[in-house]
Amino acid sequence: MNIVVCIKQVPDQPTIRIDSERMTLIREGVESTINPLDRVALEAGLHLRGRAGGQVTVLSMGPPQSEESLREALAAGADRAILVTDPAFAGSDTLATSHVLARAISRLRPFPDLLLCGMKTIDSDTGHVGPQIAEELGLPQVCGVNEISLEGDSLVVERLSDGFLDTVEVTLPALISVNRDLCPVRSLALGSLETAFSQGNIARWGREELGLSEEEVGPKGSATRVQRLLTPASTRKGELVNGSPRLLVDRLIGTLEALGLLDEEDG
Amino acid sequence: MDKSGLLHGVWVFGDYRNYFQNRVTLQLIAKGRELAETLRTRVTVLLLGEAVHQYAMEYIAHGADIVMVAEHPDLRCYQVESYTNVVARWAEAFKPDILLGGATSFGREFFPRLAKRLKTGLSADCVRLEVDPDTGLLLQTTPAFGGNLLAEVVSSHRRPQMATIHPYVFKELPHKASAVGRVVYPEIEVKANTQVRVLRSRRQQARGGNLEDAQIVIVGGRGLGSREQFKLLFELAELLAGEVGATRPVVRAGWADEERLLGQTGKTVKPKLLISIGTSGALQYTTGINGAETIIAVNRDAHAPIFKMADLGLVGESSAVLPLLLETLRKRI
Amino acid sequence: MEFRESPISAHHNYLVNGMLAQGFVVGDPSSKDHFFFLADVVLQGETRPRISARLMDEDSHPLLELKVNRIGENPGKCSIESAFAGYRIRCSSGDVLIEVRTEAFANGYLTRIKARLFDEHGHLRVETRDESIWIHGEEYLFLAGPLPEGRAVRRK
Repeated sequence: MNIVVCIKQVPDQPTIRIDSERMTLIREGVESTINPLDRVALEAGLHLRGRAGGQVTVLSMGPPQSEESLREALAAGADRAILVTDPAFAGSDTLATSHVLARAISRLRPFPDLLLCGMKTIDSDTGHVGPQIAEELGLPQVCGVNEISLEGDSLVVERLSDGFLDTVEVTLPALISVNRDLCPVRSLALGSLETAFSQGNIARWGREELGLSEEEVGPKGSATRVQRLLTPASTRKGELVNGSPRLLVDRLIGTLEALGLLDEEDG
Repeated sequence: MDKSGLLHGVWVFGDYRNYFQNRVTLQLIAKGRELAETLRTRVTVLLLGEAVHQYAMEYIAHGADIVMVAEHPDLRCYQVESYTNVVARWAEAFKPDILLGGATSFGREFFPRLAKRLKTGLSADCVRLEVDPDTGLLLQTTPAFGGNLLAEVVSSHRRPQMATIHPYVFKELPHKASAVGRVVYPEIEVKANTQVRVLRSRRQQARGGNLEDAQIVIVGGRGLGSREQFKLLFELAELLAGEVGATRPVVRAGWADEERLLGQTGKTVKPKLLISIGTSGALQYTTGINGAETIIAVNRDAHAPIFKMADLGLVGESSAVLPLLLETLRKRI
Repeated sequence: MEFRESPISAHHNYLVNGMLAQGFVVGDPSSKDHFFFLADVVLQGETRPRISARLMDEDSHPLLELKVNRIGENPGKCSIESAFAGYRIRCSSGDVLIEVRTEAFANGYLTRIKARLFDEHGHLRVETRDESIWIHGEEYLFLAGPLPEGRAVRRK
C-alpha cells in the first residue's frame, strides 16, 4: 500500500513567546517539533505498512528548517521524505497551501492509495488543509478518525462526530485525518535519529519543480489575508484575594450568587 | 419578492443533527440578522436532509427570512461530498455574500471542502464577526498562534465570505411563534456518494460528558494533589450542574480520561463560568479556556500565571478550599 | 437555477405541492356553487387546521360544504369522524373523502391532508401523493395571511 503522510513542523508550545509590540511570534530560541497529530498519523501509516506492505512517504510544506521534522519521520521508519519549500510559498492561506500540497502529491509515482494527516495543527488549528487537498484531488475524505482497519480494497474507519460514533467504509484512494485517540506514538530511540541524519534521501521540490505560477501560491494564491493582529481583549478583572479558606469560599459563593447560579440565601 | 435578489445575502448552514444539544445554527441566525441588517439584505438558512420540515419552521421562528431546502433520501445522513455538491451549486447560482456555519465536527470538515470547491476564503472558529463600515467586508476574527493572539481576517475578492463559528460565541434570538418567512425549493440533482458509506452511526454519550456544550465547567489540575481530591470535582459539578475538565498533567497521572482534557491538544470550551482549581495556568491549557465568560481560579501560589486570566483569583490551598466549598454548597442546595 | 417557493409560518403549515405552506386555496370560496378548497392560515393560539370547502363528486353532483372543519350543507349525506390527531370525512358509500392529520413538533404544527377532489366540470383538482397534497389546474393561491371572510380570490 502506498501511503503518504502530510506533516507540519510547528513551534513547540511551551517555548512560544509573543512580541506584543510587533504582534508577531518571536522565532529565536523557539523549539520546533512535528505537529502532535501528524505524529499520530505517521504512526498509523507505519502500522498499516506493517500489515499491508508498501511504503510510507512523508511530505511537508514549510521553510527549510522543516527538514528536521522530516528526518525525525525517517528515523521513526518512513521510507521516503519530500520537503516542499520555496520562498514564494510563504504567506499562503489554506487554499494556497492545499493547492501546493495537492500538486506535490499528484506528482508522486505511484499515486498514493492513502493520504494521512493529523486532524489539526497546534498553531493554526483550522483543520482545513486535509479536506481541501482531498477536494482538489477529487478524493473521498473521512476526518477525525480514531480507528482504522483494512478490509480488502477499502478501509473501514471509526470516528466520533458531534456525538455520533460512525463506522464508515471508504474506497481507496482516500484522505483520512486522525485524532489523538488513534495510536500510541513510538518514542524515538536515540540511535535511530543519528542514523536518520546520515541518510541523505530528502527530496526538495520548489515552485518551479511543481509547475506552479506565482499567482497560484503565497499571498497572490490566497483568498484570505490577515488584516491585523490583536491581543485578546484583556477584560479579565484580575481580582486577587488572600485569606482563610472560609473567606475564599465565601467570596467564591458570592460570585456564584452574582452570576445567578445559586438562589440568594434568605436572612 | 424579487425572484432571487434576496437570496444574495447572508446564508447560514442549518446544522440540525443534534438540535437540542447544539444550537449553533440558531446562534448564527441571530448574528446573521445583525450582519444582514447592516448590509440591507436577508438571512437564508440552508436545510438538507429528509423530513426536515420542523427545522424549517424553527429557523423561521428564530429569525431566518428564508429557508432553502433540499429534501432527498440520499441526504438523510450528513455526508461531506453530497452536501458539498448541493450547496456549491446553490452558491454558484445565487451568489450569497456571506456563508456561515457552526464549527461542529461536521462543519469543520464540510466547510473547508465547500470553500475549496468555490475557490473562496474560509476562516475557522471565529470569535467575532463584524461588517467593516468602510469596505462592507466581513471582518472575521479568529485565534492565531495557538490562541495567543487574535487575527482579523478578510476575504477581499472571493465570494462567498465563509466562516465557521464556535458554539456559544453568539446568542440566539428567542423563539417567535408569530414569525413568518419563505421556504424555497431549488431544482437539484442528488447523487448518492458511493465512495463513502456510513455502515453504522450510534449516538454516543462521550465519556467526557458534554464538556463543549456545558455552561459551567470545573477544571482540576495537578495542584489538587491526589486522585481522591480530583474526584471531589465531580460532586461539585453535580451540585452546580456543570461538567468536569482536566489538564494534561492530570490526564497523564491517570486521574481523568483524555476525553476531559482541555487545551491545545484537547477541547476548547466557552462556558458561562469556569472554575480552575490547582492549575498553574500553562499556555497549552489556557488556550482551551480563555473564551469562558467568567473565570475563577484557586491556587496556592499568588504568582501562578492562571491568575492573569482569572476574573477572581483565590490564593489558597485547594485541599482546604475544595472540601469547605462542597460542604457549604451541600447545605444550600 | 429554477426554484419553487411558498410563504410559511413558524407556528403551523400544511404540506402542499411537496412544499410547506402556511395556507392555500384552490378555486373561489366566494362563488355560490363552484368547487373550492381552503386550508386557511392557523394563527398562534390555535392548533387545529382550518379547512373549508365545497365538494362535489366526479359527476359534478354536490357532496357537501365544510365551514372551518364543520359540515354545513350535506346533500351527499357525508359523515365526519375523529381520527388520530385529526378527522376524517366519509361519503355515504363509506369511502374516505378527506382525511386530515396534524403532527405536533416541539414548537410547531404540520398538517397533512389526504383527499381526491373534483370540481364542477368533473376535473380532478386535488389529490395526495407521498404525504403531500397536490393541486391541479391554475386557479390556486398560497396565502400570505388568513383569508378575510367573503373576499374574492384573485386568479393566480
